[in-house]
Amino acid sequence: MTRPGARRFRRTILILAVALVVTVLIAVAVGAVWIAPGTTLRVLGWKLGFTGHPDGVDRATEVILLQLRLPRVALAVLVGAALGLSGMLFQGLFRNPLADPAVIGVSSGAALGAIVVIVLGGASLAGGLAVSGAAFIGAFLTTFLVYGIARVGPSVQVTTLLLAGIAVAATISALMSVVMSFSGEQIRSIYFWLLGGLGARGWNSVVVVVPFVVAGAGATLLLARDMNLVSLGEERASQLGVEVASFKRRSIAAGALLAAAAVSVAGVIGFVGLMTPHLLRLLVGADHRRLLPAVLLGGPLFVVLADLAARTVLAPEELPLGAVTALVGAPFFLWLLRHERGRAAGVA
Amino acid sequence: MIHRLIGGIAAVLLLLASCGESAPPRSAPTGGSSPVAAFPVTITDDDGVDVTIDAEPHRIVTFAPSMTEIVYALGLGDRLVGVSGPFDDYPAAAKDVEEVGGAGDFGVDPTIEKVVSLEPDLFLTIPGGDQWKQRLRDLDIPVVTLHADDLDDLLGDIETTGELTGAAEEAQLLAQRMRAEADAIAKSAQEVGPITCFFEVYYPPLTTVGPHTFIFDLLERAGCDPVTDAAKTDYPEWSVDALVDEGPEVYVVTPESATSVAAVAKRPGFGAIPAIEDGRVVLVNGDLVTRAGPRVIQGLRQLAEALGTA
Repeated sequence: MTRPGARRFRRTILILAVALVVTVLIAVAVGAVWIAPGTTLRVLGWKLGFTGHPDGVDRATEVILLQLRLPRVALAVLVGAALGLSGMLFQGLFRNPLADPAVIGVSSGAALGAIVVIVLGGASLAGGLAVSGAAFIGAFLTTFLVYGIARVGPSVQVTTLLLAGIAVAATISALMSVVMSFSGEQIRSIYFWLLGGLGARGWNSVVVVVPFVVAGAGATLLLARDMNLVSLGEERASQLGVEVASFKRRSIAAGALLAAAAVSVAGVIGFVGLMTPHLLRLLVGADHRRLLPAVLLGGPLFVVLADLAARTVLAPEELPLGAVTALVGAPFFLWLLRHERGRAAGVA
Repeated sequence: MIHRLIGGIAAVLLLLASCGESAPPRSAPTGGSSPVAAFPVTITDDDGVDVTIDAEPHRIVTFAPSMTEIVYALGLGDRLVGVSGPFDDYPAAAKDVEEVGGAGDFGVDPTIEKVVSLEPDLFLTIPGGDQWKQRLRDLDIPVVTLHADDLDDLLGDIETTGELTGAAEEAQLLAQRMRAEADAIAKSAQEVGPITCFFEVYYPPLTTVGPHTFIFDLLERAGCDPVTDAAKTDYPEWSVDALVDEGPEVYVVTPESATSVAAVAKRPGFGAIPAIEDGRVVLVNGDLVTRAGPRVIQGLRQLAEALGTA
């Protein structure tokens, strides 16, 4: 099979990869204190046992680098990848570019789980992992609930799934308001969580999220071919040998897993799951096997950049990450829509 | 939440207004300079609203724990007919007074019907909640909003409260006593010299105080030099990066925010802060430093003792 545009695809991937590496280097270097990439390398070399303790690096710099900045950037990469892939899976499943993890209630389920734990006073329990665990459970229970409601026999109608998702999410939002009315000072933690953020997170969160992102990416890879066929229509796909019901179940499971992992450590971060796959589809085309690597680079690129902005624009004060992604993402997305439409009109 | 935001914005605007002008006296009683103010008393409160109290109030509702404490300190506890809620816990007698709070989206608004049923002739509160305040004014309940940016401001508010309640003399004595004690603490703190510190309001996210807050003023008076003086907002979310770099000598925290000193040290990155390395994490009673009331002097002393500047 010839692959038209293979060169262009390779070039796009290369550009994304270089952009991500450069952005990560900048994100590690910039902050309350400037840490030159050279210093970072020397500290890492020393930590990994290659060299002796680097001269002229004080303990504060070392701690900022190793315990604060590196885990934060690593988490931004993982969260970006997870949200991007999750968006890609849901958009493929619903055959709709406007789908994202929020439509089947994953985000609101996670939020409810987290808020309950925060209101009960567990905001900093187990280094914040109690909140993460509750968010994860909340996300999964919601997904099962929505899926269970929408399921008829062995199969599930995507329209029903969408409607069930919206209705369940609305119910959960109402429950959240009720729970929040019992909060006092914890309203700060809740607010922080609802707006998304990567502050106050260490390596333990990174370690917890890595397996989910790896497993989710693997599952997406296995689903990519079927996803291409399903985009031709469910009937065509089943004629071509795709077990559509099973495909849907696996897509939902993988998408929910990825979204739940991201939301559980970073809170509700909007627009990444919606925008990243959509934008990258314009660059690499609709083939999900090509979209996958692009999203794996583009999602992290977006979140690392947004987090960099969140912690530097008003430094040393911090802005909520979710607000930044929406603030930057939404207008850009609108511009893109106009641009695309203009181009389509020009061609026609 | 919206009410809180509105309250915050109102407080900031007030602050800007009071910085901009050459500070005219905020509360100017019309009754002349006599310490025993004759009624009616008219003042412009910290919401910028003109309020006239026609006769000495005998049925007072306080809608903030700090206001409750001020009213008791002026010896007017027996005139208190309503308080905001369970946080009005000092002095102990306040716990037996009828509670009027609990309404609104976050339970931070007063129940209007309850307030009306108590027939108050003075309603003392802090900024925020413009809508319900207007509602109460429309029902002819005199609402007075007072907000203290710093200790001097608080002493002025105490005197204003005295004028409004016919306890001007008691208020002046209380303010004088507080000023003398605060000055004594500040004097010995100055001899020690400033110690860099950080005040934690909340975690997570790490939240601290900006230079225009009441707590910031207390910290400075206790001989502490908060590393957050560049903050642009009153309760900013602070980067732990910046905190480690600033390396404060003392870390001040309230039991509401951290369960123990050990819990603070365990957070990611905190181990490298000099205050935590040296074990100079100070737990202060939050009520004593966050409630702009008569007990702030105790809070100030606690801070100074913990900092070693007393």
